[in-house]
Amino acid sequence: MEAASITGKPLAATTPVAAVRAFLGRYGLIILLAAGPVYFAIHDLLQPSHSLVKLGNVLVAGISNGAIWALVAVGYTLVYGIIELINFAHGDLFMIGSFVGYGMFGTLGLTLTTGTLGLVGGLVVTLIVCMLVCASINVMIERVGYRPLRNAPKLAPLITAVGFSFILQNVGELWLGGSQHGVTDLIRGSTHVINLGGVTIDRQDILAVGLTVPLVLVMTTFISQSRLGKAMRATAQDPEAARLMGINVDTTISLTFLIGGLLAGAGGLIYALYQTNIWFFQGFRAGLIAFTAAVMGGIGNVRGAVLGGFIIGIIQQLSDNRIHEVLGKNFGSEWTNVVVFAYLILIMVFRPQGLIGEETREAG
Amino acid sequence: MTAVSIASLAVGVSACGGGGGGGGPTAKITGTSLTVYSSLPEQGASGDQAKAIENGVKLAVKDRGGKVGKYTVTYKPLDDSLASTGAADEGKGAQNARTAVQDSSAIGYVGEYNSGISKVTIPILNKAGITQISPANTYVGLTSTAPGHEPGEPDKYYPTGKRTYARVVPKDTIQAAALVTAAKQDGCSSIHVFNSKTTYSAGLARNIGLVAPKVPMKIEGNDAYDPKAANYRSLAANVKAPCVIQTGEIEQNGVQLMKDVATADKGVKLYGADGICLNASADPTKGIPTTLAPQFKCTIATLDPKTFGPTGKKFFKDFSTEYHQPHPDPYAIYGFESASLLLDSIQKAAASGTLTRQKVTDAVFSTKDRKSVLGTYSIDKNGDTTLTDYGLYKIVGKTLTFDRVIKSNPSLVGSG
Repeated sequence: MEAASITGKPLAATTPVAAVRAFLGRYGLIILLAAGPVYFAIHDLLQPSHSLVKLGNVLVAGISNGAIWALVAVGYTLVYGIIELINFAHGDLFMIGSFVGYGMFGTLGLTLTTGTLGLVGGLVVTLIVCMLVCASINVMIERVGYRPLRNAPKLAPLITAVGFSFILQNVGELWLGGSQHGVTDLIRGSTHVINLGGVTIDRQDILAVGLTVPLVLVMTTFISQSRLGKAMRATAQDPEAARLMGINVDTTISLTFLIGGLLAGAGGLIYALYQTNIWFFQGFRAGLIAFTAAVMGGIGNVRGAVLGGFIIGIIQQLSDNRIHEVLGKNFGSEWTNVVVFAYLILIMVFRPQGLIGEETREAG
Repeated sequence: MTAVSIASLAVGVSACGGGGGGGGPTAKITGTSLTVYSSLPEQGASGDQAKAIENGVKLAVKDRGGKVGKYTVTYKPLDDSLASTGAADEGKGAQNARTAVQDSSAIGYVGEYNSGISKVTIPILNKAGITQISPANTYVGLTSTAPGHEPGEPDKYYPTGKRTYARVVPKDTIQAAALVTAAKQDGCSSIHVFNSKTTYSAGLARNIGLVAPKVPMKIEGNDAYDPKAANYRSLAANVKAPCVIQTGEIEQNGVQLMKDVATADKGVKLYGADGICLNASADPTKGIPTTLAPQFKCTIATLDPKTFGPTGKKFFKDFSTEYHQPHPDPYAIYGFESASLLLDSIQKAAASGTLTRQKVTDAVFSTKDRKSVLGTYSIDKNGDTTLTDYGLYKIVGKTLTFDRVIKSNPSLVGSG
C-alpha cells in the first residue's frame, strides 16, 4: 500500500509495469511472508510421501514459540507507544519472570509427583505471583528511572534503560548463578495432546498459545474499552493535550508499565515451563527478538506486536528445520537470525511503518 | 553486549603489543621468587571445572611445600570469564596473559580451559617465552596440522617460531575416534553430529566427520547450532539417526539441544564430548534431566580412578582429604598434572644453576616417559601428550560415573 502510494500514481494502473507495481505494493508483503511455507508445502507434496506433516509440525512449533515472543513484544510496544522509549530492561524483566516461576515451584513444592489439581492450582498461583512481581518491578523502574527523565533528552532514559537491563541481568546471575538452570518439566510439555494426521500439538504448545491469546485479548479489550485504556491511548497521542483534559499522565504511564510487566511475568513463566531451561542471559536474546517483532508489526501497535511475534516464531522454526534445503548443506540453523533480520529489512523497506502500522506520536 | 564487546576489543588491542615487560625467554631469572599463573573460567557453567583445576594446581604446589629447589613458588589463579556472560572471554584471557607477561617472576601459565581462548593467549605468552600448559584444550589446530586444523595453524600462534605451549589431554583427533567408536560399540548404525560453532566444538565435529567413514559410521547430518537460541525443536526434528553426538559445551546451550533432540526422538542415544562431560551435566538442576540420563554418555580423557597407578590413587586420596570431595571433578587431576609437569620442569631447568624461561620450556618439551598421575606419557615436538585413551562416562544417580575405556585405534587417528 505504502510503496504504491509513494509513486503518486493511481492504483488503477494503466500500463503493465504500473499494474505489477500496484499489485506488489498491495500484496507484496503477503507474498513475501507466505512464500516460505507455500514453497515448502509444494515441495513436500511433490515428495513420494505427499505429506505435509513435517511442515505442519514446524508451524505448530513456530506458533507456540511465537506466542512467547508476542507476550514480550507487547510490553515493548506499549511502552514505546506511550513514551517513545525502547525499554531495554523489558527482556530482562521477562527473565526475572522465569526466575520467580522457578523459585515458586520450589516454594510451593511442585514436582513431577504433584497431583493434577495441586499442579494446576500451584501453577495458577505461580502465574499470578510472576505477573505481580514483574509488574511491580516495571512500575518501580518507571518511577525511579524514567519519570525523573521525562523531559530530559531522549538519550538519557535510553541509557537508563540499558542500565536497568544490566542490573536485572546481574540480579539474575546472583540469584541462580551464571550457568543455565534446569527447570522440572512439570507439565510434561512434550506429551502429545492432539494428533491431526501426524501433526502433533503438545502440552507446551497449548500452554503457550492458551495463555497468550486470552491475555492479549483481555489487554486489548481493556485498552480499547475501559476508561483507563482510553486514557492510555490519549496519552500516547498527545500527553500535553491529555493532561489538559484532566488525565493523570504519570499514573497512566505507570499503568502502561504495569500491564507490560504483567505480560512479561506471564511470558517468563511460560518460557520456563516450555524450555525447562533458564538462565540470567535469556532476556537479552528474547528482548532482541521481541523488539524486532514489535518493529516488524508496527511499533506502538499491540496487534502488530502479536503478529510480529508469531511471524518471527514461524520464520525461526522454518529456518532451523529447512534452511539447508534451500541454501545447501553448508547453511544450518546458525543462519536463522540472518533469515529473521533479512525478513525484517525487507518489510521495513516496503513498509517502514511495519505490517499493521505504527501507533505513535511520530507516526501521527 | 556492545559495551562488553568494546571492552574486549580494547583489551585485545592493548594485547597486541606482544611480549616484553617482564623479561624475555632467555633472560636469567633473578631472585628466588617464581610465580605460576592459571587462567580459567571461574564463573558460569565451567566454574566447577575451573575450581577443580585450580585446586589441583594448589595441591601440586603444596606437595612440594611451595618450593622448587631454592625458589619459592607462588600460585596466582586468574579468571578468564565474564560475569555478564557466564563464559570465558577472549579479552579477559588476553588480559590474563598480559598480566603474566608483565611479571618478571612469571615462570609458567596453566591454561586455558577453552581452546578458543588459548588461540589468543598462546601468541602473547609465546613472545615472552612463558611456558603454557593446558589442562583441558583438545582442539588440534593449537599444536598440529592433524586433520581438522584450519589454514595457517598452528604456526600462526607461535610468532617466535619456537613452541611454548603443551597440553596434558589428548587432542580431538583421538577424542573424535573415541566418540564414534563408543557409538559403534553401542550399536549405533548412523549418527547425527551437532556443534556450537566454537573453535573446540566445530573442530571436534570436523574431526568426527573425518574419522566416521574409517570406522565405518554413516553420518546423517553435521549441523552447527546457534548457542543463544531459545530452543532447537525444529532443528532436532531433522534427526534421522538413532544416535546423536553433540560436541557443544554446557555453557553453549548444550543441554537444551540434548533435551530437544531427545524430545523429538524419545529413543535416541545421546553422546557428548568433554565440553559437556562435567559433574554439572549430571546434576538435573543444571544439566541433563533425570528422565534423559539413561540415554546420555560422554567422553573425557580422565579414566576410572580405580585403574590409576599408586601416584594416581594417592592424588585422589589427597585431593579428597584436602578439599573434602569424595568424587573430585574429572578435571582436577589434569590441573594437578599440568602444575606438576611445570614444577618438575622448573626443577630440571634450574639444575644447571641458571634458570631462564626458555630452559623451562625446553624441559617440558624434553619430557619422555614421565610417570605421572595420569600414567606414563611423553610430550611430543608439537607439545601434545602421547596419552591416547579416553574414558566413557554415564550418569548414575545424578553422578557422572565411569563406564569404560575407549582405546585409541591408530588407524582412525590421523598424523600431523
